[in-house]
Amino acid sequence: MKKVAYYAGCLASLSAKELDSSTRALAPQLDLELVDMPKATCCGAGDIHEAKPDFYLHLNARVLSQAEQMGVDTLMTICNVCTLNLRQANQRMQADEDVRERVNKHLAEAGVEPYMGTVDVQHFLWLITTGERYERLKTVAGGRLAGMKVAPFYGCQILRPSKILGFEDPDSPQSLERIIEACGGEAIDYPAKLKCCGFPIVLARESVALNEVTQPLSQAKERGADCIVTPCPLCHLSLDAWQGKAEKQAGTSFEMPTLHMSQLIGLAAGVDGADLKFQRHVTPVGRKINDAVVR
Amino acid sequence: MLVKLKIWRQTPTANGEFTRELVDFEVETFEEATLLDCLDAIKNHQDGTLAYRKSCRMAICGSCGMRMDGRAVLACKTPMKELVAKGRVPVIAPMGNMPVMRDLVTDMGDFWSKVRAMTPWLERASQPLTGPDGREHLVSPEEQQKITKETMCIMCGCCVSECNSMEADPAFLGPAALAKGYRFVGDVRDKRTRERLEQYNGKHGVWDCTRCYFCNERCPKGVDPRDAIAKLGAAMFDHGMTNDKGAKHAKVFIDSAKGRGPAPGSFGIEAPGSAILYNGHLSETALIPLTLGPEAALPGWAGMGIKLGKKGKVPPPWHGAFHRVQGLSEVRKLWNVLEREETAERRGGDLEEPVVPLPPNIAQGVRTQFTPEQIFEKTGAVVSEDITSGGGKLPPDAVDLGSYYGGDTVVQRFVADGGLERDHGLSGPVPENYAAQQAATIAAHGSKPGAGATTSKDA
Repeated sequence: MKKVAYYAGCLASLSAKELDSSTRALAPQLDLELVDMPKATCCGAGDIHEAKPDFYLHLNARVLSQAEQMGVDTLMTICNVCTLNLRQANQRMQADEDVRERVNKHLAEAGVEPYMGTVDVQHFLWLITTGERYERLKTVAGGRLAGMKVAPFYGCQILRPSKILGFEDPDSPQSLERIIEACGGEAIDYPAKLKCCGFPIVLARESVALNEVTQPLSQAKERGADCIVTPCPLCHLSLDAWQGKAEKQAGTSFEMPTLHMSQLIGLAAGVDGADLKFQRHVTPVGRKINDAVVR
Repeated sequence: MLVKLKIWRQTPTANGEFTRELVDFEVETFEEATLLDCLDAIKNHQDGTLAYRKSCRMAICGSCGMRMDGRAVLACKTPMKELVAKGRVPVIAPMGNMPVMRDLVTDMGDFWSKVRAMTPWLERASQPLTGPDGREHLVSPEEQQKITKETMCIMCGCCVSECNSMEADPAFLGPAALAKGYRFVGDVRDKRTRERLEQYNGKHGVWDCTRCYFCNERCPKGVDPRDAIAKLGAAMFDHGMTNDKGAKHAKVFIDSAKGRGPAPGSFGIEAPGSAILYNGHLSETALIPLTLGPEAALPGWAGMGIKLGKKGKVPPPWHGAFHRVQGLSEVRKLWNVLEREETAERRGGDLEEPVVPLPPNIAQGVRTQFTPEQIFEKTGAVVSEDITSGGGKLPPDAVDLGSYYGGDTVVQRFVADGGLERDHGLSGPVPENYAAQQAATIAAHGSKPGAGATTSKDA
């Protein structure tokens, strides 16, 4: 079993708890031992990067330092935004010795161990869609969602900027499709699957954000999807909880369930309904999905 | 190499509508052909009515932005070889987020209005001139480095074509204009920084960006407009401009990570006990009221709160007290150390890329405050003391090109033979006396373009 430092992120620890519980239940089946990080703060979600770039760098270096102190080589995320923020800071610390020296000096002043740059930040999606672990995923998921039409929605910060993320071609990614395939579902292709869910500005610029989230919802609906699957808690909340407002603004109804990748695989892998927590969704997941839950 | 393309032909009709048709083309062309070469071949030999913009053919002019298989590219910077090898037949379309005029030509009127709205020129009326002669403003390499990426923009529109926020709000200033804005905000010679930031801070300004990063991904020149927008946000924080909802939103993230902050409704004052709202994770309890202010009580948001609350998605205010991240005092110490250290130089600093040192000759010329005589001694270059007549260089033999360019290089050979060795790509014979003409020009004025004014020290 591979040990990883598990960075659930804020949304999945709180308002989207269902993602955390699903991931914790699923990961051991996929050969991953999740080790908690009790000292890990928020990554800043792009907001601190924008407002106070230097503080952002130090904040994330402190998180990476904890992972390094835990003796693991991988920090695992289940959120696009955490992935970009941590990877960006990590690259900066690894690539530039002067920066590393300066940040480590400050970390020492604050009583934090220095970060030497030995940790790799990986999204859960990346860890289970390649190599042996993907073979294991196919066995675990066992194609049990046969006949389900699933619309993959990547969101932004797991694809772009590719020079920081770089797991797959940002214009024709396949990892979510591979997961859907392992679960036996049919992946729906639609243009908005690579676009933005609008969540970062849903409070500051609500109508702009709602126009954005309307695109994947309407396209998935048009193409007959049973649900949308996403690797990101922000996309998850935007598509699920803001769906009602998007419907109102667009003057139409979507009734589109949204599942995080851990929930979709969990559903196929027979993870307990008490961990999948579909009752916490704002948009009901509907009969087809509820019937598939092992109780 | 046989290149197959599908091109969207779009022709305006009398009633303002368009006829749209996806037309197949095949072009027999050379191995290294770019998309633009293929379009040129079609226009020259197959269908002269095909409309697209182009000029320089070398990714400098920014004219030939268009979409290939849904992604914005510069046609002249897009080789076709790999696609052909894969047997792909790409679909060529005009850029997005702009009205189409005909075929691949878009109306960039809105694009240019937004760029103009940034007042894209230096204003330095009150700026003291710091040069040794009191007539120029010296810029250090470090200062220049802050805006180097933004100055690379060629205004092609590829970023705007893909901007997800502009799709949702066409009035958004957008990545190209805002990157241009940062190019002046970050320029130490410009004195309108504060006014500029106020201007870019409005309803359709900086905080409209949804961070989809399409602009960074598509930019053919490495400008990374999203990073420029983030730098504008940081500059706004440095100037205390935190009135926008977007900035208030960011402030809650900072307080959350520090584990200290004001309670909603406390007018920003940190009362004892308000820290329980902030536990190291994002305080969802504080985020909505502090971002929205009184608006949070309006029916739309209150209803949303109730809806989320029913599903357990609104944590109670005391949640933070029981789920505190460990070691938050370390984070606050870091914050304090950085606040103390913050200097004007680091404001809006570029976090994306390590600073690339400038070539020594440029760095030397810009950094140091040498007199013209000293510069002549060091480089052999003559700098005119009379700024109004422009600068110039001595004949090339006075300049040690070997140390500039490192040995026998194309540049040296180019200078040596008056440019004859270079393949100009021109058809027809080179004029017989071309070499002699070039040599005479260089002997008289030096090898740099723009020479010709009588600027030599000896003249």
